Amino acid sequence: MTLFKIAGKNIRKNFANYFLYFASMIFSIVIYFTFVSLKYDSTIQSASDGSQKISSAFSGAAVVLIVFVAVFIWYSNSFFTRKRKKEVGLYSLLGVRKKKIGRMLFYENFLMGVMALIIGIALGSVLSRFFVMLLMKVMGYDAVPNFTISLAAMANTFIVFMMITLITSVQGYRLIYRFKLIELFQADQEHEKEPKASILLALLSVLLIGFGYWLALQNLLTSKAWAALGFMLTPLVILVSVILGTYLLFNTLTVTLLKLSRRNKKSYWKGLNLIGISQLLYRMKGNARTLTIIAVLSATTLTAVGTSYSFYYNNQTNAALANPNSYMFIGGSEIADSKADQAIRQAPGHKVLYHESISLLEVDADTSGLKQNTGLNEQSFTVISSQDFNRLAKLQGRNDAVSLEGSEAAVLEPMHMEGISPDYVGSAITLKGKGMKETLRFKALKQYSVLNTGTVYSTIVVSDEMFAALQPKAKTMAVQAYSISHQDKAKELTKQLEGILPETAGFTSFYSDYARGMESTGLLVFMGGFLGLVFLAATGSIIYFKQLTEASSDKARYLILHKIGVKKREIRNTVAKQMMFIFGLPLAFGMMHCAVALAALSKLLMTSLAVPVVTCMGAYICIYLIYYFLTVNSYYKIVTNVK
Amino acid sequence: MKTILQANNVNKIFGAKGNQYTALQSISLSINEGEFVGIMGPSGAGKSTLLNIFSTIDTPTSGKITIDGENIVAMNEEKLSDFRRNKLGFIFQDYNLLDTLTVKENIVLPLALSKVPAAEIEKRVQEIADTFGIRQILDKYPYHISGGQKQRAAASRAIVTHPSLILADEPTGALDSKSAASLLESLSKLNQANQSTILMVTHDAYAASYCQRVIFIKDGQLFQELPQEGLTRKEFFGRILEVLASLGGGHHDAV
Repeated sequence: MTLFKIAGKNIRKNFANYFLYFASMIFSIVIYFTFVSLKYDSTIQSASDGSQKISSAFSGAAVVLIVFVAVFIWYSNSFFTRKRKKEVGLYSLLGVRKKKIGRMLFYENFLMGVMALIIGIALGSVLSRFFVMLLMKVMGYDAVPNFTISLAAMANTFIVFMMITLITSVQGYRLIYRFKLIELFQADQEHEKEPKASILLALLSVLLIGFGYWLALQNLLTSKAWAALGFMLTPLVILVSVILGTYLLFNTLTVTLLKLSRRNKKSYWKGLNLIGISQLLYRMKGNARTLTIIAVLSATTLTAVGTSYSFYYNNQTNAALANPNSYMFIGGSEIADSKADQAIRQAPGHKVLYHESISLLEVDADTSGLKQNTGLNEQSFTVISSQDFNRLAKLQGRNDAVSLEGSEAAVLEPMHMEGISPDYVGSAITLKGKGMKETLRFKALKQYSVLNTGTVYSTIVVSDEMFAALQPKAKTMAVQAYSISHQDKAKELTKQLEGILPETAGFTSFYSDYARGMESTGLLVFMGGFLGLVFLAATGSIIYFKQLTEASSDKARYLILHKIGVKKREIRNTVAKQMMFIFGLPLAFGMMHCAVALAALSKLLMTSLAVPVVTCMGAYICIYLIYYFLTVNSYYKIVTNVK
Repeated sequence: MKTILQANNVNKIFGAKGNQYTALQSISLSINEGEFVGIMGPSGAGKSTLLNIFSTIDTPTSGKITIDGENIVAMNEEKLSDFRRNKLGFIFQDYNLLDTLTVKENIVLPLALSKVPAAEIEKRVQEIADTFGIRQILDKYPYHISGGQKQRAAASRAIVTHPSLILADEPTGALDSKSAASLLESLSKLNQANQSTILMVTHDAYAASYCQRVIFIKDGQLFQELPQEGLTRKEFFGRILEVLASLGGGHHDAV
């Protein structure tokens, strides 16, 4: 029998053992292949105008994926080979030459790699079709995918995974050389020492995390700490202090707390608490690094996915905030205006909800009287009368009106940022230009506009008599504002109008902002979701593998427990509790870190993140729970398999 | 006198049809309360199989076994666990101490499982620690103490619940002669002082000489029973060796 045949037979007969490793390889390949084929997919490239942007985004994400997938395969490989140390030792004991064993392991690994590659690409071809459709959908395109399997994607995947397989195969080949025979037989028999707890380090961990949180939640503009550390350094300081704090927390604080909990004899000496707590005590230190990585990875993933999803989620709101009217343009030539009007009225599938023609003024003003002004002392403003403002606000469904008298004014700033934008209320500006020296006192600030921000300058609402007084002196214009039904589907009409109206009309539409937003945030949310899913699956699998490794080495302990009369149900309970700890800790801290990061971010981004982030966290927890139950089940099966 | 263990016609057959191996064949024996009984026999005679069946971690193919009035063959998994926990104490050749627990915690474990109050646990642990002379190692971990100490700790764990029957599987097998003697002294003392019932499997004639009665089995069948009956330990030891010689394949080691 040739070595190659033995290797093949080994795989066939031991498939249950190989399955996990095999499955994780296939999983990695499917993910990678799908991703790469999206990158090369012609439908996506042709559907988006900014294909350069998309392709570079995909390339960047692909690099992250390669690194991640390589680490993941490496990890499952080492888990897998550990299981087989004894078998390898036996071959050696029977007198098979090291070289032959090494070659056999190499063949095995290589054979599996190639098989996984074939299956992975086949599965990936099917899946990527589904993902193309998904991506098109979230980006707001409705092109039908005429999907073809990309040869370039295949070649790319093939090369990357052949390299990874070669590396792991060589690693397998070296297994027999790396260990002494005796070590191969004693794979799981090392004695464990009780970990030491340091109260000082435990306290330090809490302090570090607290410090990181405190720094992250500071107001960027007013914080002395940020000013002292500098804007580039501070985020790094936050990151390092939180990661280090998390590691120390898992490494020492948990140990300290577990040790303290042993002091309470009443609960410690009750049922299997004795076992559960001491098991965890011994396990925590060894797991601290993995758990830290998982907590940090979870936090990053959740933050990234949460943020990108909230952009996507808020796209409609943002587009509507910038474009309260479906269409708006400055009237100029009558022919163009009436042609546009006709086009809007006749557009199939859309009804005109309102059409308003509004007179606006354009003025220059001296803004040096504003608190926190932008540094420029002169600025152009668009002026609207309070009567027109109130009418439009009502049409746009806002239950809000202004009443202004004399030189009182209100400013409309949908993108107002507390602390950065000028502080209008209470200050005054003086108008400039020929014959104008009126002073306007700001009485109110509205964080919305009734005009599309792309067509006009920053808008000031003035009293009707002031408007009448200014009208003869300032540059006036008549603006057309339309609102239509189904404005988010007005692709055709928008295109038509863009053709009709001249450049000078300052044409703005809800649809084009909305569509642009869908495209970029859709891509963002897809990438975020895709990578998030991969990270999640991988972190879940890493805990799974790690716990199963430990289950095999804990088996003897549970056998003793079984002999002295512990019920299977009780063993299941204590296993479930221990796993809850192992799974719950990184998840809880990942979510906590994420919550703080998002709290800091939402101040910066000015978007509400609550709904999208809670959705993401919910999904995350659900998938994590599946891994949890899977692990508890497998762990329990391993430790109660009495033989 | 009360009968603690009653086995009637116990058979154990391993393997599927066509390739069967009879490990135990119609074994019947009974052990009374307060007895210290040894089971001896050459390797492969079925000693361990018999002990596993008495321990309820293996089941007989046929036969009836009653321990402390309860039929263990008819019990389900849940009940068996309870039964092991409350009625039986185990001492194994390789100690089976949990290495993540201190000696004290190991002894506490069975009591904790039975939900005994903490104060009562503390009292019982102190008592047992004195009996076996392990007070000074209570807070040490198993990997810090010697084999003899480990076995005395394991014995403490087996006895702390006041079980109806203590089952010992080659308890001296991994010990040097001095530790073995000390452990056997302790067991013997416990047997006399507390009227504890002990069933010990051994292939060491010296260990067996501490018993009040030795049952010999060969090829899965009862071979002979040897009571101490007023003999000194030395004389009893000699008698045991004689039976072993007649058994053939007996071990004469560790004299």
